[in-house]
Amino acid sequence: MRDSGKRANTTAHSPLSTDLLRRLAPRQVLTSLAERRNYRYDAIQFGETPLAVVLPENTADVVVAVKAARAAGVPIVGRGAASGLSGGAAPLRESLVISFTRMTGLRIDPVRREAHAQAGVVTLAVSDAARPHGLIYPPDPASFRTSTIGGNLAENAGGPMCFKYGVSGDYVKGLEVVDAHGEVHTLTRDAYDLAGLLIGSEGTLGLITEAALRLLPPPRFTRTLMAHFPEVGACAEAVSQAIAAGAVPSKLEFMDRACTNAVEDYLVLGLPRGAEAVLLVDTDGDDLETVEEERALVEQACVAAGGTVRRAGTDAEAAALWQARRSVSPALGRIRPQRMNEDIAVPRSALPEVVREIRALGDASPFPVVQFGHIGDGNLHPNILFDPRQDDAAAVHHLAHQIALVALRHGGVLSGEHGIGSMKRDFMTDALDPVTLDVLRDVKRTLDPADLLNPGKVLP
Amino acid sequence: MAHAVDACVHCGFCLPACPTYTLLGDEMDSPRGRIVLMKEVLEGTLPLADAAPHLDRCLGCQGCVTACPSGVPYGELITAFRGWSEPQRQRSALDRGKRWAILRALPAPRLFSLAARVGQFAKPLAPALPAALRAPLDLLPERVPALHSSPKVTRARGQQRGRVAFLVGCAQQALAPNFNAATLRVLAQNGIEVVVPDGQGCCGAAALHTGARAEALSLVRANLSAFDPGEYDAILSNAAGCGAGLKEYPAVLHGEPDEPQARAFAAKVMDVSEYLFQLLQAGDLAPPLPASRPLQVAYHDACHLAHAQGVRAAPRALLRFIPGVSVLEVPEGDLCCGSAGTYNLEQPELASQLGARKASHILSVQPDLIASGNIGCHTQIQSHVRRARSRVPVMHTVEVLDLAYRGEL
Repeated sequence: MRDSGKRANTTAHSPLSTDLLRRLAPRQVLTSLAERRNYRYDAIQFGETPLAVVLPENTADVVVAVKAARAAGVPIVGRGAASGLSGGAAPLRESLVISFTRMTGLRIDPVRREAHAQAGVVTLAVSDAARPHGLIYPPDPASFRTSTIGGNLAENAGGPMCFKYGVSGDYVKGLEVVDAHGEVHTLTRDAYDLAGLLIGSEGTLGLITEAALRLLPPPRFTRTLMAHFPEVGACAEAVSQAIAAGAVPSKLEFMDRACTNAVEDYLVLGLPRGAEAVLLVDTDGDDLETVEEERALVEQACVAAGGTVRRAGTDAEAAALWQARRSVSPALGRIRPQRMNEDIAVPRSALPEVVREIRALGDASPFPVVQFGHIGDGNLHPNILFDPRQDDAAAVHHLAHQIALVALRHGGVLSGEHGIGSMKRDFMTDALDPVTLDVLRDVKRTLDPADLLNPGKVLP
Repeated sequence: MAHAVDACVHCGFCLPACPTYTLLGDEMDSPRGRIVLMKEVLEGTLPLADAAPHLDRCLGCQGCVTACPSGVPYGELITAFRGWSEPQRQRSALDRGKRWAILRALPAPRLFSLAARVGQFAKPLAPALPAALRAPLDLLPERVPALHSSPKVTRARGQQRGRVAFLVGCAQQALAPNFNAATLRVLAQNGIEVVVPDGQGCCGAAALHTGARAEALSLVRANLSAFDPGEYDAILSNAAGCGAGLKEYPAVLHGEPDEPQARAFAAKVMDVSEYLFQLLQAGDLAPPLPASRPLQVAYHDACHLAHAQGVRAAPRALLRFIPGVSVLEVPEGDLCCGSAGTYNLEQPELASQLGARKASHILSVQPDLIASGNIGCHTQIQSHVRRARSRVPVMHTVEVLDLAYRGEL
């Protein structure tokens, strides 16, 4: 802090920060402008600069922060690694941001096959700690080297593994939650599944401080293949056919030509740059014969749909292909600086038509529209790429709405895994009927009557 | 700079690759956070003095560049920003004095050697000294060796296969003179004539990366006139930081009249391990004698080799080429050891935490020997491994090869 004597007077001396500084250690409360400006964004959006930031080290610190914010009437936004894609962690108003990155307590109970993880534990760290005990934590969002358990549960994140193994919420045995009044609750999945209510609630009903997570023994065998296709719809047809034929791959991921080229620019793996669609598939299990059989079923379906198949020869090659898939979303920054990210999920049978219709919408628009996603369970991430300095935000939003409507028209939903946040909030009235929306609002009012928890998210 | 800032989509993939984020767990001390800070200072929405402490904590290790899918050239960004902001900084007299001393002593091996000798006598007093003086003393080896000066030409042994120019470096001539001696022996053994051109000096990386742009420019230009790329098959460095610095010359002189000269120069620059690996791949590397016993070598990736130059496979392959040697991977191997040029002098506390963390990861694989390709890492790792009460030898990759050629490994 060598310039401290000359620092500009940009520290916010609000009654809230004064109160927080009195109750917490100085290292836990950030008040300078440089610090606060850094806690206003996630991986898509920039929001309002928060009034103060708290970095709790345990649940008691969270309680102190919530009570202080409540007393000051200041909204509260929870934040993990802020790698989210829907604006969930970006404050819409002047708020107190509670950043969980220093709550990294993690304990593995190998006998009960459970992990007890504080909210700030990095997702991949759970599997890393469990592996010596012969266990893994399957949910694997693309950002799992960065993202935190608290953020994953708040958004109910998925990942390639979730086609066979389920999403983050499916691995929760119990949650510790701090509510809007600063009370600590231990929620289980019994009776009214209140833990389930908190999962995917994006910090609007309570703040998840710790989770008991279910662990699994990893499959003994995994086989990886890559197929590429001359047309996007053909790729989707291959997926439908493979699953109809009885294959249950653990991962079924798709990326279109623009995505493939963006990650190839980053990693230089020799991916097929000219293909309109690339499919990455893992089959896994404890019986090698079945694993090989399933891979053969997928291969046959790909070839029948006009695809070209390549098997990963080594673990290192398979790992490189999956690193490529995980890098798609950020690599799109190479094409345009900003992206409007969608997260639709549609029935598998509708996939060929959906990807073709979205492709057509993209071709007819002035923006690059790219598609990738967890095609096995119909979860697609169409992205509209744009430059906010030149492009018309309303036109981007209109196109995003058109894409969302394609999904809904084919019996799909708006969000497979990223959450609604602020990005897709306006489309909720298309997705849910008014009666259901009223019930959701009643739930919110009951648990957070003063509307202090992440206001402006999820509900329109 | 604006383009580089815009390329960041703030996905956060850089967070786990950043040593300071790993230690401190806060956004302002991460690459993503620093990019936001730089952008806001440039746009005038944030005073420089507010952002400076967080930007100063950046090691410049470029771990984030490897981790970044969207291709943000973070290294260029922070270097350009430091150059732009330094003239506006208001530093204390002590701070200015320290920076002046570092930037003056580092590129002058004789002065550095003298200072190191004086420091050696002061080492026992270290605990009583202020932190600013303690940090450099901590890093000094137990015995400061005699300054080694490399001959102007080292002839190839046997049939000559190539001719290279060699940058002898600065601090390492004083702290680890055997690096250069071993490099010359290994190259000669393989039929390579090595020329040490007159007029060469410091690569300029330390000045450039701490924002002293004018000093950096004069060092860069001195080297451009000393090395004529047309005369050599390659221009070699055996210090990761210097090699990366030499490869940066075109960026430093971007838009200047001598940019084409810098391009021709940089196109010939290689780390010594890259060059030897080329010989290995061509089947031209002389086989070393086997190690006297099976040796487990922990290889440490210097940031300026792995992240800045993308050189990872070559040094490992060279070590494995020695019969009896196996290479161990170090956990958290992508994370900087905390040396980072002058960082361990400017941010001794964080540097020391990172050094201790690195030493404990390296020792966890129980190596017989530790190898790396950078004087900074070497000094830092040696100092922290010794502090952890381990006597495991720490060597340059080329020193290991040299011992093997002599049958002394």
